[in-house]
Amino acid sequence: MTAPAARHTAAPALAPRLLGGRLKRSQRRAGLLFILPLVVLELLLLVLPIIQTVYYSFTRWDGLTSKWIGLENYQRLFADTTFWRVVLNNVLLLLAIPFAILIPLAVAFLLNEHVRGWRFFRSVYFLPTAISWVVIGMVAVRVFASQGILNGLFDAVHLPVHLNMLGAELTAMLAVIITFIWSVFGTNTIIFITGMATLDREIYDAAKVDGAGSWATFWRITIPMLMRFIQFAFIVTLITAFTALFSLIFVMTGGGPGYGTTTLEFYVYQQAFSVGVFGYGAAIGVVLSLIVFAISLGQTRIFRSRLD
Amino acid sequence: MDRTRRRISRGAIFVVLCIVGVVMLFPFYFMGITAFRSHDQYIAGSGLSLDSWKVLFDAIPVAQQLINSTIVTGGAVLIILAVSSSAGYALAKLGFRGSAYVFIAVLAGMTVPMQSIIIPEFVNISQVGLTNSYLGAMLVYAALGVPFATFLMTAYYRGIPNELVEASLMDGASFLQIFARIMLPMGIPALVTVGVLQVIQIWDDLLIGLLFLNRPEVRTITVGLATLQSSRMVDVPALMAGSIISALPAIIVYLIFQRNLVQGLTMGVNK
Repeated sequence: MTAPAARHTAAPALAPRLLGGRLKRSQRRAGLLFILPLVVLELLLLVLPIIQTVYYSFTRWDGLTSKWIGLENYQRLFADTTFWRVVLNNVLLLLAIPFAILIPLAVAFLLNEHVRGWRFFRSVYFLPTAISWVVIGMVAVRVFASQGILNGLFDAVHLPVHLNMLGAELTAMLAVIITFIWSVFGTNTIIFITGMATLDREIYDAAKVDGAGSWATFWRITIPMLMRFIQFAFIVTLITAFTALFSLIFVMTGGGPGYGTTTLEFYVYQQAFSVGVFGYGAAIGVVLSLIVFAISLGQTRIFRSRLD
Repeated sequence: MDRTRRRISRGAIFVVLCIVGVVMLFPFYFMGITAFRSHDQYIAGSGLSLDSWKVLFDAIPVAQQLINSTIVTGGAVLIILAVSSSAGYALAKLGFRGSAYVFIAVLAGMTVPMQSIIIPEFVNISQVGLTNSYLGAMLVYAALGVPFATFLMTAYYRGIPNELVEASLMDGASFLQIFARIMLPMGIPALVTVGVLQVIQIWDDLLIGLLFLNRPEVRTITVGLATLQSSRMVDVPALMAGSIISALPAIIVYLIFQRNLVQGLTMGVNK
């Protein structure tokens, strides 16, 4: 983390010859002045709550009074079978990631052939990015409901299948996962299209001359050269899965049936604002941020490449 | 022979893209067709009616909640643009003692999940009496949006040549004048990208609105819609009518600023 910092300071903001004495001082003063709004806003509304979350995770807290209880919340948390059920749901969400990457990758590859109307298709695929998880969840409920669209489709093709996916824990999670894959499909497709646009046409021509088929070209050239983009999409998708599905779950399943679709982020909300155990909720919040922070460390590589 | 094969394969690609398109567009079609049916017509699967809209407008104050969404989103985005462009200028062009650490902190701030800080945030905002006020929600949204916005603005401002700033300094311009006359106008493309990303994100958000704006008359439309669903409203056409109303502004923004949205989303990976 310190390497890019050093580079940042090393790059002089303005030419040193101009910055002797008074001007340099006044430039620094101006710098402090212009950064001030950010510092004030973030100290009060981001840094302070982070410190409080950590502090209160060691207390019994109802929002008004708190009592220091040391590690009790964490001990309770790790002994809580519901907590492990919730962690399992986060693990289940991981199953979505390969699909959320590979399907967009394949479709981006097809879009990149620039057949008639490809720009229109690209816009259509990207459209869900603008839609709130609330609206997506609202429609998803009608898709997976017992009297819903999916079962209607099965009837229409005379398949003797009738699913009540939202009625059982594992299938409800599957419904959330499918909806999630649908929602991030467009974003990831766009990321890969952007990546493919940067690839050098000549390499493909050379591969063709060497007699490589399109399948070999895809696996041997396109995929390796897109690795940076695949990595980026992977991390963004993972973080979305762990921190942005609250609204979808709220609308689609309310975390149920049972704890079938309660993920860590939903569990924080539920414990704090439904049950009212703020300190316990804070402890879950700390666990969630540690997980997300660990994932984000992988991302620093990408940040570093940006700073070069 | 080769040309025929090529034509067939391009035809096949077109067909696959069409099928994917149907899967992606179907929910929108379902919303549209269902919103213009009464509850009975929805069950029967045919007919047209405006009943659902009446049910929706009776259930929640739609117009008021659209106005609330506009005020909260607009206010928060203005704060984000002001703070992040000013901070981006300071980090990219001015520099000050500790600026490297501030930049690292901004990067770290981008990774903090909102759920992890929401409990003390809620308690703090309640204690200063800002729940159920637009300002409270605006500030929370702004604080969450500023780190990424600042990252983007800093990256963009670094691309503006120092010579431009130096020349103005020689002409006797103050640092404030340079910000107003050079940095802000030249930063417009980045400001638009930041703005579009944030408008969509804040308009579509549920959690903050749910906690910080809990009286129906101050709720945003997204929250209004979600509470309608969780209150076990069974009138599907009315829910779909609400979905359309809440999604439409974001879709319009998307259609106009699609290019900026794509730029913003892929910003983290393009050098």
